[in-house]
Amino acid sequence: MRRPQGIPKWPYAFFKFYCKRSRFEEMHGDLEEYFYQRVERQGMVKARWLYLRDVLRCCQPYAWKTPHIYKNSNIMMFNNYFKTASRSALRNPLSTFINIFGLSIAIGVCVMTYSFMNQSLNTDKFHENKDKVFLATIFADRDGKTNQYGLTPLPLAEHLKEDFANIERVCRIDDHNTVIRLNDQVFYEDIRLVDGEFLEMFTFPLKWGDKSSLYDPNSIILSEEMSDKYFQTENPIGKEVMVIFKSGEKKYFEISGVAEGFPNMTEIDFDFLINYSNIEVAQTNYNPADWAKFIDATLIELNDPTSISSVHSGMKKYLTLQNEVNKDWAIQGFEFVSIDELYLKSSNIKQAISYDDRKPGRMTLPFIAAFMLILACLNYINMAINSIAKRLKEIGVRKVMGADRRLVMIQFLTENVFITLCAMIFGLFLGMTVFMPWFEGISGEQYSIQISDQLFYLFLLGLLLLTGIASGIYPAFYISRFQAVNIFKGKIKLGRKGWLTKTFLGFQLVLACITITAAVVFVQNTNFQMERSWGYDQNHVLYINAPSSEMYEKMKAEMERSPYLETVSGSANHIARNHQISIAETLDRKFEVSEFRVESNYFKTMGIELAAGRFLSNDVKSENKELVVNQTFVKQLELEEPLGFEIKLRDSNYTIVGIMSDLHNSPFGTEIDPMVFSQVSEGGLRFLTASITPGQDIKVYDEMESAWDELYPEIPFDGGLQADIWDGYFTMIGNFARFNKAVASIAVALALLGLYGLMTLNISGRIKELSIRKTLGANLMHLSKIMSKQYLVLTIVSICIGAPLGYFFTMMQLGLVFAYPLPMGAYRVIIPIIILVVSLIAVIITQVVRVGRFNPVKGLRSE
Amino acid sequence: MGRAQIGEFEELVLLTVGVLYDDAYAVSIAAELEKQSGRSVAVSAVHKSLYRLEEKGMLNSRLGDPESKRGGKRKRLFNITPYGKKALDESIDLRAKLRNQIPELAFKFNS
Repeated sequence: MRRPQGIPKWPYAFFKFYCKRSRFEEMHGDLEEYFYQRVERQGMVKARWLYLRDVLRCCQPYAWKTPHIYKNSNIMMFNNYFKTASRSALRNPLSTFINIFGLSIAIGVCVMTYSFMNQSLNTDKFHENKDKVFLATIFADRDGKTNQYGLTPLPLAEHLKEDFANIERVCRIDDHNTVIRLNDQVFYEDIRLVDGEFLEMFTFPLKWGDKSSLYDPNSIILSEEMSDKYFQTENPIGKEVMVIFKSGEKKYFEISGVAEGFPNMTEIDFDFLINYSNIEVAQTNYNPADWAKFIDATLIELNDPTSISSVHSGMKKYLTLQNEVNKDWAIQGFEFVSIDELYLKSSNIKQAISYDDRKPGRMTLPFIAAFMLILACLNYINMAINSIAKRLKEIGVRKVMGADRRLVMIQFLTENVFITLCAMIFGLFLGMTVFMPWFEGISGEQYSIQISDQLFYLFLLGLLLLTGIASGIYPAFYISRFQAVNIFKGKIKLGRKGWLTKTFLGFQLVLACITITAAVVFVQNTNFQMERSWGYDQNHVLYINAPSSEMYEKMKAEMERSPYLETVSGSANHIARNHQISIAETLDRKFEVSEFRVESNYFKTMGIELAAGRFLSNDVKSENKELVVNQTFVKQLELEEPLGFEIKLRDSNYTIVGIMSDLHNSPFGTEIDPMVFSQVSEGGLRFLTASITPGQDIKVYDEMESAWDELYPEIPFDGGLQADIWDGYFTMIGNFARFNKAVASIAVALALLGLYGLMTLNISGRIKELSIRKTLGANLMHLSKIMSKQYLVLTIVSICIGAPLGYFFTMMQLGLVFAYPLPMGAYRVIIPIIILVVSLIAVIITQVVRVGRFNPVKGLRSE
Repeated sequence: MGRAQIGEFEELVLLTVGVLYDDAYAVSIAAELEKQSGRSVAVSAVHKSLYRLEEKGMLNSRLGDPESKRGGKRKRLFNITPYGKKALDESIDLRAKLRNQIPELAFKFNS
């Protein structure tokens, strides 16, 4: 059919597009007749416009083509299901809202969990050679326990390269904290010393510069983050950086590359990379053949990953080499862990380049998500069963028209999947805009969902079907059972199955009770931890770390001059900042202990309490071989007569002269280690500690910082108030409490929504009865008794089950995270129970008030 | 079966189809309605009513001959069925019946 002369092109095409073939001729004939008339009477331009108007006006269902799907009876049936589903959803807006809202919260939590799990399980899996690159780990025996360490003996890498033909590449990694000077700014930064092979083993593409420059000892490669920090968006290639190593040596490097931003799923990364050969500058008296020294990591790459067993079996000869020299740290064996598996295994490997702190999250989040989903599904089931009365006729008609039980079930399941789909869209939105940013705030990490992540769509589809079917199968089963005849006869008695809905509601209440207990206890525990004694007096203490003896002396003079500082004391290590791991030997046992080398007045400055004996004597010059140990040390060594006992430390004998009360060197999450305090040698002083006149803390800190900046503009000031040292830790445990609070709020909200929905349905079912009672003079008290009676028993039973469960669950969770948790007692569940009962009563009261205001005449007149 | 339901505009279209007898198609019906009632009638509204009435069985239709004023296209000509007549009669009877039942007093406006 060609376009007739003069008819405008686009409207004609549009008409042809929507109009039925069978009606095209007659309808367009009419339009054309009008068109030609108008051309004659009103002119071409006007006629064309009016033609367009007619085309648009005719665009109505009677003229439309019938899409093919309307001709398929199955699809037509689904179309009908959809229609009845949306109608019944709109007829009960409240229960629809409760269902969709509950489900979408649960789905939002699931989406958040997915992104967390996905990120956590895929950490460091983007490296192309992840299966071929292995980290060498060692097993060493400490105090009867064999632990796996990520450290390796220093010369191992050189030997591996020579001795094994199947090892393609070897890479050493050693991390050094250095001072970096750039554009007159100085900062402490961690530099990774690596072999040039590092960038070939790992897939870290460079934004600017060349990978091979890493082989050059005078080049430095920056991460994108560092490049942004120092140069903003500018390209820094060719700029000079001065690095001051711990050894005191300075060296200039030229920036030769900037890495692209690391993916979120990166655990092994870097800030600065320089060639490993710089270790000779970074360490004084570096000896490449010293088996007693360790480096942070040794990585090997194989062409054929399966040949790792041959490398493993050839490692025995190194054991003897190592153990001859380093008797303190006898190694029992080696193991190679591929980069692919490293992250998930790294919670068992000490001091590895990869550190896994998401294990508690991986263990709890999926359960929480599942709980939420169960709660929401139970809500849905309850609401569906209770609102069935309104749809009995529909089911009856469907059955009479020839639907068998299977078809009715399919109908209800489709309906359910449709509602879940609505909830899913809302839940996705909720998850991405509310839960994920909130969780990011708590965990301090970035989470994202890639649009291209196919697994995510699969996950959503699975979630949709699972939730839709899990929540719909029982209602569908229940509803489809009725016989049409009985429905029309009015023989169906609903509400007989009350025990089931009550069980579900009870289950929800139990879950709410558990989560609320966890939340309340965690909040209390946070306060408890904040108030917990640190074992010494952390308030009003200033500490400063001086990298060299010269700096130490100058700063000491400054501090002694300050009127607000008293008892300035020196040490090589400092509580909560720095300690050294030493091996303490008795006649028959070896122990790993945390050693602090201090001046004798350090104890006074830090307010350490003595349990027995005395502190170190004041005699600095003589070879003072005295030790003060903590109570844990005494307990672990099972010393009966600790004072005067001799301990071998660094090949010489020390005598225990005092026992101090236990103090926390690391935050409360870890147990107190055995500690020893020994006399510091003259040249080893690195930390300055002093007590501050109360009230002057901030002022003194600022004064000392500016004094330092004047003395050493090249070195950043490294000091602080002792009381601030664990701020990060306290924020973290505060976040734990916040997390539990949020989970509890959601669980309680879902349970309350469920109760609210059930009560409204129950009341609308009993509206006649309640109206009659009201007209006969029932007062509000009486009505509330009638309405809440059935929930009373339920609540009591749920609390009886939920409270002990919550108690044990919380105790377990606390024990997992805290070494010194809040002491638990049965009384801890009282506050949660009160919160739960009060909120339940609040819900019941809203309903009672509603009935109280209700005009009974209306209730009696209905139908 | 209940009474056949027709709307006000549908009734007008049905009547006009009868008036035009052998030449009742959308354009002529619209023109006739415009002429008789004095209000403008969109052809799409006429289409809608015609197809609806045909679906209800009150109208029959056949295709006419191609005409040059229509770009060589045929037109669909409509005529009333007996069922259409019955619906029309019932509707008019109902109106007449109701009109007759109005007491004279109701029309005494100036008192």
